[in-house]
Formats: sequence, C-alpha cells, structure tokens
Amino acid sequence: MRRIFVILLLVLLPCVVGAQEEPTRDWARRGINIADVTVYGKRPMKEIGAQQTRFDTLMLKENIALSMADVLTFNSSIFVKSYGRATLSTVAFRGTSPSHTQVSWNGMKINNPMLGMTDFSMIPSYFIDDASLLHGTSSVNETGGGLGGSVKLATKPAQADGFGLQYVQGVGSFKSFDEFLRLTYGNDHWQVSTRVLYSSSPNDYLYTNRDKKINIYDDDMNIISQYYPTERNRSGAYKDFHLLQEVYYNTGRGDRLGMNAWYINSDRELAMLTVDHGSDTDFENRQREETFRGVLSWDHLRESWKIGAKAGYIHTWVGYDYKRDVGNGIMAHMTRSRSRINTFYGQVEGEYYMGDKWLFTANMSLHQHLVESKDKNIVRQDGDKAIVGYRKGRPELSGSVSAKWRPVERLGISAVIREEMFGRKWAPIIPALFVDGVLSERGNVVAKASVSRNFRFPSLNDLYFLPGGNPDLKEERGWTYDAGVSFAVGSKGIYSLSGSANWFESFIKDWIIWLPTTKGFFSPDNIKDVHAYGVELKVDMDVALAKEWLLGLNGTFSWTPSINEGEPRTLADKSVGKQLPYVPEFSSSVTGRLSWRSWSLLYKWCYYSTRYTMSSNDISLTGKLPPYFMSNIMLEKSFSLERADLSLKGSINNLFNEDYLSVLSRPMPGINYSLFLSITPKWRKQR
Amino acid sequence: MVKRVVHLIFLTILLLQHSCMEWDYGYVEEFDTSSSREGLFICNEGNFQYGNATLSYYDPATRSVENEIFYRANAMKLGDVVQSMTIRDGIGWVVVNNSHVVFAIDINTFKEVGRITNLTSPRYIHFISDEKAYITQVWDNRIFIVNPKRYAITGYIEVPGMTMENGSTEQIVQLGKYLYVNCWSYQNRLLKIDTETDQIVGELEVGIQPTSLVMDCNNKLWTITDGGYEDSPYGHEAPSLYRINAETFTIEKQFAFELGDRPSEVQLNGAGDKIYWLNDDVWEMDVNADQAPERPFLPYNGTLYYGLTVCPRTGDVYIADAIDYSQQGMVYRYSRSRELIDSFYVGITPGAFCWK
Repeated sequence: MRRIFVILLLVLLPCVVGAQEEPTRDWARRGINIADVTVYGKRPMKEIGAQQTRFDTLMLKENIALSMADVLTFNSSIFVKSYGRATLSTVAFRGTSPSHTQVSWNGMKINNPMLGMTDFSMIPSYFIDDASLLHGTSSVNETGGGLGGSVKLATKPAQADGFGLQYVQGVGSFKSFDEFLRLTYGNDHWQVSTRVLYSSSPNDYLYTNRDKKINIYDDDMNIISQYYPTERNRSGAYKDFHLLQEVYYNTGRGDRLGMNAWYINSDRELAMLTVDHGSDTDFENRQREETFRGVLSWDHLRESWKIGAKAGYIHTWVGYDYKRDVGNGIMAHMTRSRSRINTFYGQVEGEYYMGDKWLFTANMSLHQHLVESKDKNIVRQDGDKAIVGYRKGRPELSGSVSAKWRPVERLGISAVIREEMFGRKWAPIIPALFVDGVLSERGNVVAKASVSRNFRFPSLNDLYFLPGGNPDLKEERGWTYDAGVSFAVGSKGIYSLSGSANWFESFIKDWIIWLPTTKGFFSPDNIKDVHAYGVELKVDMDVALAKEWLLGLNGTFSWTPSINEGEPRTLADKSVGKQLPYVPEFSSSVTGRLSWRSWSLLYKWCYYSTRYTMSSNDISLTGKLPPYFMSNIMLEKSFSLERADLSLKGSINNLFNEDYLSVLSRPMPGINYSLFLSITPKWRKQR
Repeated sequence: MVKRVVHLIFLTILLLQHSCMEWDYGYVEEFDTSSSREGLFICNEGNFQYGNATLSYYDPATRSVENEIFYRANAMKLGDVVQSMTIRDGIGWVVVNNSHVVFAIDINTFKEVGRITNLTSPRYIHFISDEKAYITQVWDNRIFIVNPKRYAITGYIEVPGMTMENGSTEQIVQLGKYLYVNCWSYQNRLLKIDTETDQIVGELEVGIQPTSLVMDCNNKLWTITDGGYEDSPYGHEAPSLYRINAETFTIEKQFAFELGDRPSEVQLNGAGDKIYWLNDDVWEMDVNADQAPERPFLPYNGTLYYGLTVCPRTGDVYIADAIDYSQQGMVYRYSRSRELIDSFYVGITPGAFCWK
C-alpha cells in the first residue's frame, strides 16, 4: 500500500511544483480550458451529502472499442471482475457483490432480473453520454437494493445544429475491427441522433499457458518431455452490434420530450479455460443475446417545480449452447438454454423548490418483469419430452420522497424515505439522511456525512431457478454509513485541483450465496453477515504546464476490507473474520492526459491487490491471484481540414505485457495495439 | 519546458511499470511414498469453472497429509472439477470432469505418465484389461471405450433412450464379463453391459436418479437414489436404497427414505459385508439386514458431509466436510468404535476418495 502512496505522490508532486513556478501566467487565452473552481454556495441541492463520481466525455469517448467495464476499471475505485476480453464483466462497490450494484439507463433499471447483476462488457462507452457512480448510501436517492451503490448511465441530446456525421474506424490486434457511425440532426426544437457500433474479433490472442503442459511421448507412449504450450485464446470470438436511436423535442416553453431506443445483437463464444484439455474444434460454447431497451420521457419544467414521467420496455433473449462433435461432424447439444425477459417500466417524479432553502422531491417507479427460463431439455420417465425451467412474473415497485434543506449557505441537510415492494413482499422503510457543510471557504473544504438502511430482494433465479432455486430466501439487508471531506482549489486557466477522502462502513446481513448440494446442483442460501468498510480517495488535477501544454491527472485509491462476520458453519470453518474471496482489499487507478496543441497523450494505470480465491484467505498454488498493475497508453493527433475534422489515435494496451489474471483459469491478453481513425465532415461549411 | 515534460513522462512510466504479477512457475517437487503400506487419495473438486481442483494424499500410519500433490509433482494444474480416481497396477487414473481429461499418475511419485483427452464430461473409469477401459460421461449418451496403454479413445457404447442433453452414466462395477452402470442425472435405471461385445444386454428401472453403485461380498448390487427435486419435470419422490441381485438383475429389497431426504455416497467396507451412506448423518448397515438401522453410525453435527469412504483394511470411516465449498475442506477419520482418530484439511470441496 505504501508503494501506491509513494507512486501517487511522485506523480502528483512534479505537476504541482511545475504549476507553482509560473503562477501568474494565463494560458486560457491560448485555448487551454481549465474551469474555475466551483463556488461552495452553488452546490446543487439535489446532491446534498451525496458521494458521487462523474465521468467526463474524455473518459467515455476515449475510443470506440471500450466498454463501460474498461472505463470503470481505469477511472474509478470500484472493482471490475472481468472473465476476459469481450467476456462477462461485473462491477462491485466497496467489497460487495455485483448484484449489490444497481444500474440504470435513462432512469430505467437494467440489472438482469434473473441474475440480479449487469454485464458491463455489453455497454459500449460510446453509447453513454453521462455516467456517474453513487456510492453506498447515495444510491438510495435513486433506487433501492444498491447495497454497494448504483451506476447511472444516460444519453443526452447531441446539441447538434443542422446535420452532423461522425465515423470512426478501429483496427486492432487479434483481427479486431470496430466501426462506429453517428448521424445527428438538430435545430432549436429537435435533436435527433442515430448511433451504430459493430465490433468483431476472433479474439484469439496468444499466451503462455502455465496451467497445463503438453506431453511428448515415445513410441511406447512414455512421456519423454513436457512443456508449457503457447496457446491461443480458444473459442473466444465475438460479434457485437449496437444501434441507438434518440429523438428529443424541446418546446422551448419548459417541456422536453425524449425517445431512446437501443438494440443489441451479440454473438459471443465463451472462451475455454486454461485447464481445458478438449479440442476447440470439437466443442462449441456460445452465448447469443438480443436486447431491446426503449424509454419515452417527458419533463415539464417551471421556475420552482418540475414534473416528469417515463415509460419503457426491455426485451432480452439469451441463448446459450454447449455442443460437441459426436464424431461425424455433427455438433450435438449438450446444453441448450434459452431465456426470455420482458420488462415494462413506468416512472413519475416531481421536484418542488420552496424558496432557495427547501427542495422536495418525490419519485415512484414500477418495473414489471415477465421471465421465461428454459434451461435443459430432458426425456421424462414416461418417454415424453420436457423442459427444465421456470416462468415467473414479478412487479418491482419503488417510491421515495425527500426533503432537502439548506438553512444557511454553509449547511445542507437531506432526508430520504424509500419504500419498495417486490412481488407481494414489502421491504421495511428505507430511510437515508445526508448532511454536508462548508468547513472552509478557502479551499472550498466541504464535509459530508450520510447514513442509510437498505434492502435487496433475491433475484428471480435465486428464488425459482430449476434446479436449486430457494423460494424461502430472505432479503439481504444492511446499514451503511459514509463520511468524507472534499476540497477544490485553483485558478481559471492556470490550474485546478480537487480531491476527496471518504470513509464508509456497511453491515450486510443474510448475504445470498450459491453453494453446491449433494444432489449435484447449486442452491442459494442466506449464508453470511458481512462487514465492509474502508476509505476512498480521489484526486483530480488540471495544470497548464507551459505555453500550449496542459496536463490532466485523475487518481483514485480504495481500501476496502470486506469481512465475513457470520457464524462459523462448522468448527473447521476458517472464513470468519476474513476478507471475502475475489474482493481486492486495495485498488487504485491513475489517468494522466498531456495535451500540446492538437496532440494528446493519455496514460492509464490501474492496480488491484491480491484477491483471495478461498473464503479462508489461504493462498494455495492452484488458487493464486497475485496483485497486478496494468498500463495502457494512447497517442492522438487531431487534424482540422477544410472539409472535415480528422483524428488519428493509436493505443497500446497492457503496455508492459503483464502476465495477469482477473479470474482463475481465464487468460487475459498481453500487449496489444489498436488504431482509430475518426472523420467528422463539416457539412455547414460545404453549403 | 519540453525537456521537463519529457522527463515527467519518463518518470511516470518508470514508476507505473513497477513490478508485475508474482508468478512462480515450473518448480517440481519430488515425492516417494512407495514405503507407505497404505495411502488415501482425496479428490478435491474445487469450484466449477475456476480450474482449482486438487489432489491430496493422506498416510493413515503417520497421520500426515500432503495437499496439491498433482501441482507440486507436475508443475501444472489438475483442472476443473476432479470427479474420481481409480488405481490399477500402480497407476492412478484421475478423472477431471470439466477439463475433458483423465490423467494417469504414478501413485508413489504423483508424476503424470500420460493422459486421455477430449472426453465429453468424464465421470468414472473402469478397467477391463490393460488395453481396455470404459469411461462414463454426463451430457453424453455414450460410454467411451479407451485403450489406456495408448491413451486413446477406441470406441463408444451408445445408451438407448438417452440424448446428449440428458445423458448420464456414472459408477461401474463388474461381475464376470458383465458391467453394471447406474444412470443418474434425469435417469432412473441401471445398465448391464457385456464386455465381450460392448453391448447393453439389460436395463433395470429403479427410483429417480440413482447416485452411486457398489457390489457387496454376496455379489449383490447396492444403489441409492436421491429422488430428484421439487418441481422437477422428471418427478420428485422419496429416495430409496436398493439391493439388487446382479445375476438375475432384479431388485431384491428396497429401503425407503423420507421425501426430502438427501441420501448419497453408498460405500462398502473392505470385506464387503457392510454398507455405508450419507443422509445428513453417516449410516452403516449389514448387507444381509432386512431393515434399515434406526440410529446412525455417526450423527449429524451441523454440516453437510460431501464425501465418504471406509478403509478396506482397518474399517476406519472417513468423511469429508466441504464447509462452505470455497475454502479447504476437512476430512474426519473415525474408528470402527466411532472415535475421532484424526482430522485434516485438504483442498476445496473434497468429494471422492481412492485407496492406494
């Protein structure tokens, strides 16, 4: 951990020193954009006491090959567990599990209701215009069930004036191709945008497999030699297509209407484990997904109040096929699993400002899920065919009211009451209280504190999956406490420096875990009580180093012990008092961006400490996930031509060819390269 | 200024590239257990899809255990979900289910001597001769015939009334030239196979999902069903223990359990005159008994036992506690008189045993 602090210090120190050498120079007039520091009194009422991380456009629109999982890995303190490139990637806040992270897109919850979690590798960052993390208690402002926190994703009007077009072509290692097209049209009232993204790759990167050896036999089948093979990532190909259509209409008289429709068609092979001795030509392991998400929205704004309504629909079809060649070239199904989810969504919300000291909000949302899971085809005892699966529906109602009060400019208090009903079960009242106060106007030092109760209902698979679903599961429940301090200093056009330090503490009871049974399948149960606590640090800095030189730095650091405090299951149980498996105790990320004229150099770095694979925290030879550092670098040059703006980007991922794993037996790619060309025609000039 | 910026970039890169993942590969340990009179191999399944299955070795005489012996002796992983192990002529055949492989190891040095690969989802191996063995599968309607000498698949026995999706063949016992196989997942029958013709010559319907199979000193087969599960389209019933006459291939006796019970792991002692099984408690019964015992051999102590074996020489009973299935499991060794003799940690999810 000390090493991380030293690295952070060494990286930040020269920049600060450099900035102090020429404090009076103002590079803003030469086009460098360093914003002025936010004045404490203008802190939004809606965000009183909230611990929030926002992602700017530079992070989201870095390149078209990135998913939100990649963005979160390098720009936030939350843990991204990746099963490989273009493979399931889940995120978890503060030592909780992926199902404790609630995710919304344009207000509509997009957690898979069967699994409870969200695959962030299926969310291209180029399709998101506004992303923020609400840590811990702060998620209660938006939704229930976010025992770790929530991720808010949204699109925004393009602010186009007339027709616009952007085309980006990406070519990368492992025959990876990414193509992105965006068409926009806008005037005073209408904003229309169409985005298309297609990504494909055989994804067959080379790696040295040290989990197995290849035997060389003599004629009598005696092993005469063994070696670690250099293998390709087998069966990891993917083809992902995304289409996003948006239409916004602004009456100019306080009414805004919006329509967002997102279609996904994904065809991904599931890569073989490093310990798989099967032939990739004899086995096929593939997951296909078709998803449509649509949201209609209406906002009515007045000077002191606002009301809004949303309606949405999600359709998801997932097909999983596991086949093998039975010897005649015919691939026979070993598993043929299909699931279909239809979700209907509605939401109303309102805000009312009473003077400049009070804000009242109310919000009510309903998600009605209809789920059909067909997991296995069998032949019954009477010879008839049957399907193992379930069909269930569940309404999920969530409503909240809040009162936010700022009696004086330096103090803000917010109280939220939330209530939820899943199926026919009501959660107890979920209260949350937030306070913030300005400790010092000099340096804009603000202290924040919050406390909330929270509940998470079991997912539909937890309750009903066949075999193993447990309808008697209790909801997970807990209390979370947050406290922190933030500051912001700077001078417009010269430098800005802001940072925050937050402490948090969560107690989660009846944590749900799936365990094997003696009948050969897994079943969930309320197993653990978990105490997660720790510290999150964040630093953002922009410095004008010299004429036309701009340096931006963002750094995060997290210390997140997540301790099992349940009763021992048996006398031999060594897991009590230990860190949960697959949760790093320390993680950190640093992003540095150096700009000079139309050149830009981006360096991204992240670190995860050892992740235990056993609940007892024993480290074995076969269950080792040592800490790793990851570095990516990107160089960009922009050209402003008469008829178009061009941008050429080259990036190197895993710069130091790190041999690393995020999950056991899932190889990750070594050093790899990408090149992106972006073209934005200047229509208006041509006319 | 440019120089300063360049220095800054180099300093940053230097600092950030610091250190890599701490891997240590290729170290091989030498073992020699040839002097131990008896030894027990423990197959630790690990966690499905994590490739962390391991093999442990216990010496009952010295009460010492060595864990991760396959990795330590071979500097590579055993694989994903080890299912079973069978010993023949000093070679241990370790069946690793989701790695599609059966490893052959020297049982004294634990070093690999060969492997059979590209199996569908292997469960158990049974030897007919030095050059012929059968390997049962789940998610495949075929029993694979292999040549262990050449580590090669030589043929298949296709099981009628099964598709790939609901295919399941499990444990094998032999009487004369006939093999008996229990079909488990979404199945309810035993098969009788002629080893000379590789043909299925008989089928016997028992209850839902027979999980294990042994043959006692009287050449009687014993199998125990798990009864399926609630809402299963295949059915859900009270499990049963069956005694079957192998020669006539008919059910002689059925011992019924309560609906919702979870019996599993039928095992025999060395003489083959007592059977043991798990049903929360550990149970013992004489093979000639007409009634199931009323009291368990070892009562339930708050944990679900996952594996069971009986020492063929001493009759000591070994039970495996997987605890929470994500840490090292514990094996308890009890004497015939139910005294705890020893307990030792092994690998994650200890499920199967094999006596040297």
